[in-house]
Amino acid sequence: MTARPSLIVDTSNPTPPYEQLRRQLAELIQSTALAPGDRLPPLRQLAADLGLAIGTVARAYRELESAGLVSSRRGGGTRVSATAPSLPDSERRRLLHHHARAFVRQAALLGADEQQILGAISQALAT
Amino acid sequence: MEGVLVLVVGACLSAGVAVAVAVAWLARTGLRPAVPAAATRQTASFRLAGVITGLVACGAAAASGALGRGLLLAGPVFGLCVLAGVMAGEISVRPAGGQTRTAVVEVRRVRDYLPRGLATAVTAAAAVLLAVVTVTTATARPDDLGRPGRVLLLSCGPGTWQARGPWPGSFYSVPLAAMVAAGLITAGGALRVVIRRARAGADPDAVAADDALRQRAARTITGACGILVAVPLAGVCLVSAGALLSSSCRPAWWIYAGWALLALLIAAGALTGWCAGVLLAPARAVTAARPAR
Repeated sequence: MTARPSLIVDTSNPTPPYEQLRRQLAELIQSTALAPGDRLPPLRQLAADLGLAIGTVARAYRELESAGLVSSRRGGGTRVSATAPSLPDSERRRLLHHHARAFVRQAALLGADEQQILGAISQALAT
Repeated sequence: MEGVLVLVVGACLSAGVAVAVAVAWLARTGLRPAVPAAATRQTASFRLAGVITGLVACGAAAASGALGRGLLLAGPVFGLCVLAGVMAGEISVRPAGGQTRTAVVEVRRVRDYLPRGLATAVTAAAAVLLAVVTVTTATARPDDLGRPGRVLLLSCGPGTWQARGPWPGSFYSVPLAAMVAAGLITAGGALRVVIRRARAGADPDAVAADDALRQRAARTITGACGILVAVPLAGVCLVSAGALLSSSCRPAWWIYAGWALLALLIAAGALTGWCAGVLLAPARAVTAARPAR
């Protein structure tokens, strides 16, 4: 069974919550974890789950709609656009390396050695 | 005829009790996903408070109200109290706070949590109640004191009339319809609360446990709706069948209608038992983790 994609908002992060949401949803759409036609959570539901104001989530959805990634329809909710651009393989690889470098940097700052870093990745993959 | 009615009522009660015991036992031994213990205790406490308040209010309603009207409204009063308890319990579950919040990308829908079999049975019972009450209301006449919609009037020959009552005409059906409508609207609101309540996290085990908690709430709401509908249906069927079968100059088809109503009475009794079993079944605080993949 594949776990459903999730969103994380860090309120201590200087990036505004709507931008954190927008960025993560855009990545999910471009990586096709959210396929064209998939419905995004209703505003109230997502706002309640994340403990955010409805306006914050609504702003993230508006930005995604402006970028052509989602389309909203009254009564039909917000869905991933059929024309939403997906990431080319080269860009996927670039992002993977980018996130790996960021993780390794953070782990090194914590004082972890190579074995501990690899162990943490194995543990994360297993859960 | 009274002996037959006593037999049917006895069979109805027996069916209800048997179904309640069976449902509660199956729920106790069935394999269900994990439910977080604290949230389970919290919602169960409110649910139990709703049931206890409902029983008290139901007793008070049954003891009050003129000419059996209170007795007919006892079921809906009980259902409303249980629904209020479920809503309060769901509202009391607070989302996990903190600086880092997580949410699953999902669309929660009412139909994902409703127990299909029970919901279908309750919907059917509501439709039957509406149909029976519409017919009895349309055929009711005022009683000898001029109270509208209280008896069934039958012509037994030229200038001879026989009044059979109590008959569930407007005297009973109007307050009953108001209570049932209020109950169903409350149930809709309670289901919305269940769906919109925040999740406690996005971890697969937490999501599965939270889903189980929502399913329990949806089952309770459906069970309360079942009581709300089935108890008055049983009452309406019993009273109508009694009036139809006790008339001395009835048309032949009234006998069939009377027996059909008695069959409905048994079905309503079984549904009441099913719903009571759902309401009283304990929700176990299972903590066994399911595999992540």
